[in-house]
Order: sequence, then C-alpha cells, then structure tokens
Amino acid sequence: MLRWVRSPRPYQLLLGFAIFLAIWHLATAVLEVPIFRKIPPPAVVLREWFNPEPFFGVSVYTSLYYSHIAYSVYRAYTAFALAVLLGVPLGILIGWDRTFHEYTFPLVETFRPIPPLSWVPLAILMLPGTEPPVIFVTFIAAFFATVLNTLLGVQSIDRSYFRAAQCLGFTRRDTLFHVVIPGAMPHVFIGLQIAMGLSWVALVAGEMIAGKRGLGYMIYDAYSMVQIPTIIMGMLTLGFLGFFSSAMVRYLGGKLMAWRSY
Amino acid sequence: MFRVVFSTALWRGVGGIALFVALWEAASLLKLPFLRFVPAPHLLFASVLETIQTPAYWTAVYISAKRVMIGYLIGVALGVPIGLAFGVSRAFKNVFFPVFETLRPIPPLAWVPLSILLWPTMEQTVISIIFLGSFFTVVINVLGGVETVDLRYVRAALSMGATRWQVFWRVVVPATSPSIFTGMAIAMGLTWEIVVAAEMVSSIGSGQTGLGAMMWQAYVGGVIPLIITAMVSIGLAGLLFSALIWQIGGFATRWRRLV
Repeated sequence: MLRWVRSPRPYQLLLGFAIFLAIWHLATAVLEVPIFRKIPPPAVVLREWFNPEPFFGVSVYTSLYYSHIAYSVYRAYTAFALAVLLGVPLGILIGWDRTFHEYTFPLVETFRPIPPLSWVPLAILMLPGTEPPVIFVTFIAAFFATVLNTLLGVQSIDRSYFRAAQCLGFTRRDTLFHVVIPGAMPHVFIGLQIAMGLSWVALVAGEMIAGKRGLGYMIYDAYSMVQIPTIIMGMLTLGFLGFFSSAMVRYLGGKLMAWRSY
Repeated sequence: MFRVVFSTALWRGVGGIALFVALWEAASLLKLPFLRFVPAPHLLFASVLETIQTPAYWTAVYISAKRVMIGYLIGVALGVPIGLAFGVSRAFKNVFFPVFETLRPIPPLAWVPLSILLWPTMEQTVISIIFLGSFFTVVINVLGGVETVDLRYVRAALSMGATRWQVFWRVVVPATSPSIFTGMAIAMGLTWEIVVAAEMVSSIGSGQTGLGAMMWQAYVGGVIPLIITAMVSIGLAGLLFSALIWQIGGFATRWRRLV
C-alpha cells in the first residue's frame, strides 16, 4: 500500500481523470463546442447526483435511485444465476460426452449467432408480465457465453489426464468430478466474466425497450423528459455496477481456483 | 465428401435440429399458450422465403450493414493504435487506462440517449454506438495481446541493436497481430448485436429502416414471422461478417499456420 502511494501510479491515475474531466468541462462549459451544447458540464452532473433535493427527482438521497439499482441488480443476477445453473452443466455435458455433443451442439450453434438483443420483441410476445422478458433476454446473453466457454474448457483439458485417470481405475463419475470439472474451471470463469459483462449489456437494452424501473429504464425515461444529468448519472452507475460485478466473478474465481495462484 | 455424408455426427446433428423443429410443430398444433403468437415452423418457413424476395428486406440489410461497417472501421482504426499505445507506454497506460476502464463497463446501449443529444442525425447516433461497442472490445484485446508478447523477443531485438521504433514495428506489432484480429472478429460479432438494439431504441424518426427498425416495426405491427426473419438475418449477417474477419486475419497472420 505504502509502495503504491510512493510510486507515480496513483498520481498518474488522478491525472488521467483530471484530464478527462477537464476536457469535458472545457468542451461544455468554457468553449461551448456546438455538438456538446446539450451536454451538461461535469459539475452540473455531480451537483445533481449528490443533491439532497434533486432537480430532476433522482440522486443518491432519493429512494427512487436505489430502487432502480435494486431492480437492475436483481434482474442481472437472476439471469446470470440461471445462465450459470443451466449453462455450466450443459457445457460440461457437451464437452464430455461425445454422443450428447453430436446430438445437441448443432442446435446450440443454430441459436447462438442470433443476438440476445434481437430476442426482445419475441420475448415480450411470448412471456407474460414485464419481468420475464427482460430476464429472458439477459439470460440468453449470458447463457451462450457460459456454455461455449465451459465447452472450450473441457476440450482444453490435457488428454493424458483422462488416460491417467483410467489407468488409476477411475469410474466415469470420478473422472467427471476429479478431472473434467476442475480442469474446465479456469475457462468456466473466463466465460462467467464475459457472461457477466454481456448480461449488463443485454439488461440495459431489455430495460430500455420493455422495462418498468431499472437503470436502463431510468436512462430512457430521463432521455424522454430531457433530464440530461440523470442520463449521465445512470450511465456511470451502470458502469460501476458492471465493473463491480465482473470484479466479483474474478475474485470468486481466484478463490475457487487457489491451486492456480502462485 | 462421402465420409461427411455418412458420418454419424452429421446425422445426429440433423436429428437434434429436426427433433427441435418437430417439437415446435407439435407445440403449435397443441396451441401451447406461450407459443400463441409464434407461427408453426412450416408457416414461418414459407413467410421467410416470401420476405427475402422483397427489395425492402435487402435495403434494410444494406442499411444495417453500411452502419455496421462505418462504425466498425472507425472503432478499429482508433482502437488498434490506442490498444498498442496502452501496451507499450507505461505512462500512457497509467494515466488513461483507469478512465478507459471506468467508461468501458457502461453498456453501449446506455450511450444511446446521450448520443442522440450529441449528434445531429440518427445515422450518426447509430454509427457512434456501433463505434463504441467495437472500440472498447478492440482496445482490450489488443492490449491483452501486447501484454503476452514474449519479453525475450524484445530483449533479443534490443541486444542486437534494434531501436525502440524497430522493436515496435518488427516485434510488438507482428506478435500482437493475432490478438488484433481476434479482437476485430469479436467486435464484428458484437456490432451486429448493437446495431439491432440501437436501431430499435432510436427507430423513431430515423429516416432509413435497417434490420433493427424493421424488426421493431414488425413487432409494433404484430407481424411475427417478420420478427423471426429479422432475428435470423441478423444472426447470419453477424456470423458471415465475423467469418470474413477471421479469414482476413488468418491470411494476414499466415506464418502461424501449421500446415
């Protein structure tokens, strides 16, 4: 920690943000560049964000802000959890069992290229209510990334491990739990990180188009009411939540695969 | 050829898909409630055939493809140099990478309202969203590529008297090129995903109808087969464009081929 403070890095980091904010401030407040004329300067956004009595009704002091966050987090994590629960076992099965691979993989590959976001209209029509379509679209985004990376993980396991396991008299069940699953783990966690990122992307689209509440909805609502500081607040909040979620998956992966750290 | 036709893998794959279609057809016959809006496969197939013969469909494909290409090319043109700069200059990375990492997790779609305010026309808005999607993906992949360059190559070049400039062009760039193309291919897949959503969200008032707007109009008008046609078209387009990038990448880095 002390070394980090003494190194140039924290000051360079601050410099980077300072440059970013300075350019933003210059472009909007000082020079008033024509294309930025509708964008508020950083100070205005910050004032709105930390205002006990926000002008546009949303700030860190209002419960509405947290309810939007709670809805988005609930949807993203529900979809992500479903994708993990279904995607990891499916990926392992497809990678591990050749017959199962031959029957199901072409079907998976038929659906995989269809962008999750293009499921939105169909999801609204097929699923009841407002929650299921948004969660479904988010799920689709996370699901295929999880399946594919898990499958890659199983396929990347050194073949000699399987032979060694057989020589040592492992049953199929033992091989699954002691070779396939631990061997695929590193790729699974790469897949989960990608899936987490993709689920936030899809979530925002889903909320914008189909949602009631949630950060995507908040941004879109703020857009239609021309509350620009609220739009930027929502974007930065989403960025932070997305970053935090991916960091959490990475941390969990590091913990679960302690044997890989050195 | 003969062996492919008679391989069990192929027939099992076809069997899996056939089973899915059969289940779908059966579910339509039984009129399951969640499929009440979705047509049976044979009806859908007929309507897909009908749609792809109309000029409006091909115009939509062309408009979306044009937007994708423009946004994507700008994204690559800026993303590759910036990714390389992050990789080779520690000072540049320490200063700007944290800002980059703060903006990167913001989903491309969340930029839509701001972009609409920023850009005078819808066309520019959609293109700028596509740009953002491809830019962040390319930068991250290029940076990852630079960081995995074997340091011994750099040291070997330096000890044989190469200048920093030569190390950059003769060692870093060639060694990173596979990652550059990987990033480009991933970004291409992503841009097709983003164009749909960007067109859907900002479809109101956009003069030209791309595939996303076509899909949204089909949704509003309740023309379900058209929605599914658009979905499949976008999927196929993304697949074809990414395959093209992989091909170009394979050709450009052909020293990596084993055979």
